[in-house]
Amino acid sequence: MALNERDTRDPRLERLYREAASEAPPAHLDAAILAAARRDVGARPRSLSTALRRWQVPVSIAAVVVVGVSLVTLMMEEGVDRLGEIGIPPVTAPADKPVSELKQAPPAAAATGAAQQQVESQARAEQEASRDDSKRAVDLGKMEATSPRTGDSAANSGMGAAAPSPAAEPFPKPLAAPPLLAQERAATAPTDTVTASRPEAASPAPGERRSTAPATDVPQPKIMARAMVAKPAASDRQPVWQGLEKEPPEKWVVRIEELIREGRTAEAEEMRAEFKRRFPDHSLGRAAK
Amino acid sequence: MESTTARHLPGGWQGAYCQPAMTWSAESSDEELMLHYRDGDAAAFDVLYARHRGGVYRYLLRQCREAAVAEELFQDVWMKLIRARAGYTVQARFATYLYRLAHNRWIDHFRRHRPGTVVSLDEEEGEAPFDPPDERERPQDEALDTRRQAARLMELVAELPVAQREAFLLQQEGGMSVEEVAQATGVTRETAKSRLRYAMSKLRKGMLEWR
Repeated sequence: MALNERDTRDPRLERLYREAASEAPPAHLDAAILAAARRDVGARPRSLSTALRRWQVPVSIAAVVVVGVSLVTLMMEEGVDRLGEIGIPPVTAPADKPVSELKQAPPAAAATGAAQQQVESQARAEQEASRDDSKRAVDLGKMEATSPRTGDSAANSGMGAAAPSPAAEPFPKPLAAPPLLAQERAATAPTDTVTASRPEAASPAPGERRSTAPATDVPQPKIMARAMVAKPAASDRQPVWQGLEKEPPEKWVVRIEELIREGRTAEAEEMRAEFKRRFPDHSLGRAAK
Repeated sequence: MESTTARHLPGGWQGAYCQPAMTWSAESSDEELMLHYRDGDAAAFDVLYARHRGGVYRYLLRQCREAAVAEELFQDVWMKLIRARAGYTVQARFATYLYRLAHNRWIDHFRRHRPGTVVSLDEEEGEAPFDPPDERERPQDEALDTRRQAARLMELVAELPVAQREAFLLQQEGGMSVEEVAQATGVTRETAKSRLRYAMSKLRKGMLEWR
């Protein structure tokens, strides 16, 4: 190693060379290069990554704040608009509202009132409908229970609904009425009444209407309620055997058979019971049974 | 003569793991200064330039032998360094990197201005015809002044073959070891060592009369 070092190095020569070599670049060249170096640094002040690193956190925080405030503002505005659409006043009303704005408020308040009325009337109609159904069920039971004396108005009017007579025992109890009630309801659909009383004959079902109808369509629930009320009560219905009271039992049998053929089994059953009550000595034919 | 750069990183060469310190001083290594300059500290470049300006300039001046050309090449080398600062990473000693730039720039110039010349540095490995000093011109006075010795040495350096001269200049101006000379000139270690040995041998023989 020392030999190699001696071959490639000579301290005396090197010292002599250093003393002799003293040339240097001219000053203008130094100035130009140093200026270029500064210019390059100035044109690109630090590397991009350094600058980004320095501003990363503040810019991120600022961006989050801006986006958050924008979203909250937007959501608040849209929420107020939606409440206005369905007629519910915004939750927070400014306490120091000017008088002029307060004067402009009534239409909105009226709309709100109308909507509330609509909701209330709908609820009322539903309550009435359910109450009506139960009432009709009771009435039907009552009618069936009192039917033997149909036509005998004095006896019919004197009957108490809650106290079935011993004569009613062979007949179905009021609780057994719902099948008949369902049939009745299907036969006398409330929509028919509604469409008959309203100009929009082809209007959809009430449930659909509620979702699509404008908020100002207030009368609709009332009509519905009226329609529910206007359903023919069981007591108002004509008996199946109307017109046969004076006829012989053979005609009754023929009528019962017709009803069975038409599939009106409930009415046929009802008539059969009346037949047995009126003509206990007559037996029904096989077809009528 | 300004000191030229025989600096080594403390604790051994760290290669690509070298990171710039938070601050730098005049005693900081070349690599640290260059990293600071890369990160936008122009003052670090001032120190770096002051360390290497003379060595690079003399290297180019001795190679092309014309001051005007040397100045042009010198400026080109530093401008290239400035332009490449953003992508600088510590792969080797800074001096090696800088003189590699100078070597490439000089080779480009050499090939452009002497198109017929084949720069085969290997062909100069053999003993060049050594012209010993003329005994008749040899001064009779044994106590020659250092100035004349230095002038004679410069003549001998200029007479060296290109490759040997370059190896010698890189060793002296860049403060490079044999390995670093090989790295800067793109040759094997043995080739660089051989060039240095021939160069030294010729210079010693040329300066024999002054010993």
